[in-house]
Amino acid sequence: MDLRPDDATRERLAQARTLGRELIRPVGLEADRLGRPTPPDHPFFEQLVRLGLGRTRWTGEPPKKRAAVVGNARGMLCVAEELSYWDRGVAVSFPGPGLGEPPLLSMGTDEQRERFLTPFRGSDRPRWGSFAMTEPGAGSDVAGIRASARRDGDTWILDGDKSFAANASRADWIVVWVTVDASLGREGHRAFVVEQGTPGLGGFHVERKMGLKAYESTSFTLRECRVPAANLIGGEEHYARRAGFKGAMQSFNATRPTIAAMAVGIGRSALDEAAAFAREAGVLRDVRVRDRLERVRRRLRVARLLCWRAAWLADHRQPNVMEASMSKAFAPTAAFEAASLGMELLGMEGGRGDHLIEKLFRDVKAMDIVEGTGQIQRLLMARKLVGLPRDPA
Amino acid sequence: MIDFTLSPELTLLQSTARELARDRLAAVERRLEADRDVGDELRRLFDEVGLARVELPEALGGAELGALARAVVLEELGAGDPGAALALDPLGPAAYVVQELGGSEALTALAKPILAEPGARALLVHDHRPRFHESGGTVQGQFPWVPADRVDLLVVLEMERAYVVREGIHLEPVRGAGLRAAGASELRLDGAPIVESWVSTPATLQAHARGRLYVASLLVGVLRRAYEYSRDYALERVAFGRPIAHHQSLAFLIADMATAVDGCRMLVHEAAWRLDQGDPAVEACAGAFVECCEQAMFVTPNALQLLGGHGFMLDHPVEKFMRDARALTLLLGGVDAAREESGRDLGERDGPVALTLGESSWT
Repeated sequence: MDLRPDDATRERLAQARTLGRELIRPVGLEADRLGRPTPPDHPFFEQLVRLGLGRTRWTGEPPKKRAAVVGNARGMLCVAEELSYWDRGVAVSFPGPGLGEPPLLSMGTDEQRERFLTPFRGSDRPRWGSFAMTEPGAGSDVAGIRASARRDGDTWILDGDKSFAANASRADWIVVWVTVDASLGREGHRAFVVEQGTPGLGGFHVERKMGLKAYESTSFTLRECRVPAANLIGGEEHYARRAGFKGAMQSFNATRPTIAAMAVGIGRSALDEAAAFAREAGVLRDVRVRDRLERVRRRLRVARLLCWRAAWLADHRQPNVMEASMSKAFAPTAAFEAASLGMELLGMEGGRGDHLIEKLFRDVKAMDIVEGTGQIQRLLMARKLVGLPRDPA
Repeated sequence: MIDFTLSPELTLLQSTARELARDRLAAVERRLEADRDVGDELRRLFDEVGLARVELPEALGGAELGALARAVVLEELGAGDPGAALALDPLGPAAYVVQELGGSEALTALAKPILAEPGARALLVHDHRPRFHESGGTVQGQFPWVPADRVDLLVVLEMERAYVVREGIHLEPVRGAGLRAAGASELRLDGAPIVESWVSTPATLQAHARGRLYVASLLVGVLRRAYEYSRDYALERVAFGRPIAHHQSLAFLIADMATAVDGCRMLVHEAAWRLDQGDPAVEACAGAFVECCEQAMFVTPNALQLLGGHGFMLDHPVEKFMRDARALTLLLGGVDAAREESGRDLGERDGPVALTLGESSWT
């Protein structure tokens, strides 16, 4: 047993902290003040690229060759937590292939990885990838997506509406999930890489959000959008072998403890600010205040350990569906408690709407929703723990 | 790097303890409770296996495996019967106090006679009210409940000192709210001569922390068993046409109970790991104790709730889990005193709050 990040991770954490203090926090506060995502031509993104950020994890080799090697989900998760401590919205706005990367790595062909990820190996300019699953009428019920794909010779024609896709309007490409036959449910799902500028891809609408304003959550439409057959991730053989839904769930699965760790980062930020405010206000030693701070720290510690365990299992290629869901179900509520307590301690100062804690209070709520709500996590856990049927009568 | 692997040695120890706890404690828990004692046969068996000695120094026949090993074993025994676990551990957390304040020689001297006599017990109480009063080297006073029907050596832990008495200890049996397999008595000291006495704030804090971790480990076991028992019941019990575990409200509750158990265990293991590293652990041990106490009052009442009316009857052990858990949370000063310790540094320190040991030096 060892409950400390290794030297390499600690070094990356130190870099993240410097970056966080000097760049991420100010950019996040700016976006929140202005009520808009950080524009793609903001010098901040150029700076990140110069620092070597925004690259793909793909090394150029087929990922299967590395399957036996112990992964580094733990290290990446630690860094994600630290970046979110400074501003989770800004962390999501970072250039890079984003959530489109996992499906390409796990399901894509060598040619597809080469085509779509190679540009992310260099550092010429900020580039984004995006991922679109959610629809106006299908959030948690992933199997219910209606955006469709039909084959027409060497191309596919996509039609439908997508919602809340991070960085979609600025992305070079979007991994879009559609169905070839809605009556098949998840069996009918397919993932396509839709490149920016493809005719029929449009209607980009950047949503207005309660918090996490620094990155764009974008809705868009596909209207008779023709995509080359070569953009079907994994090719048709892949779907003959495996259900499309599984691919999507696998990419969620790899992400859950990391999202949970981001919640820990936000919660830790709120705790630090709350403690600092209480100290200045002279109430830090007030038993009523301290006991609640104690509880918040304790819950965040539990949350971090749950995240670490899920990532540790993932790194050792151990099944972690239960543990990943557990961390994702737990951490956002612990973080919310931290931010909410912070507001309570601020009192009327919190009511002004211009304190960092007030921003964190708005930011943190999303963490119990994205990448599977707390309720979906409990469903997944219950399937493992008590064999909860998928479709109870 | 972050790693939750238990060593093969610990895994083996865990499965030994699990088997014994299941077959020899849980299987007869109602009898142990009624007898208010574990009996000579069980005592002999557990003494042979040496589960109570995993953390003790070699001079006392111990294996010196450390705090994590102890926590792992205590979880298993707690899942069997926490009262029996106390009764089967002749020294219990009293050894921590003697060791931290008096040192190894004092521990050897005071513990040897206890270990040599089957059924003899050392008991630790935390007297923060205070209930005992000293005059001229002897102690007077009364303690409303101790989970024991026999005390050969009483270790009294105060805020800044600890002392030991061996004579003048009077026990009056009481019914006991829980942990009855260990016995239950009102304890009175009547001119009890102090045999040893030590003063040291850091040592009392450290000893208290280790004691809290001991109780927290037992609680993890009780919580796990309550969770597993009620989950299994919910899978068998059918209502409205399906097992009640397949009604979403209960499925979610069961998921939250599983999370609570895992969270408690992780804090306990983290604190134990700190102790084994020789790192500061007072706050972590107290925090683990508080978490276990809070979650005990989430998990065990809900375990009972899952059984509905059956849970309230003595035919199932879930009502016992709830009573045992509540009783455990009262020990060594209880949850508020632990909360005080767990949050003390928050009132004193400046700068970012660390969740993990040494975090401030990471960046």
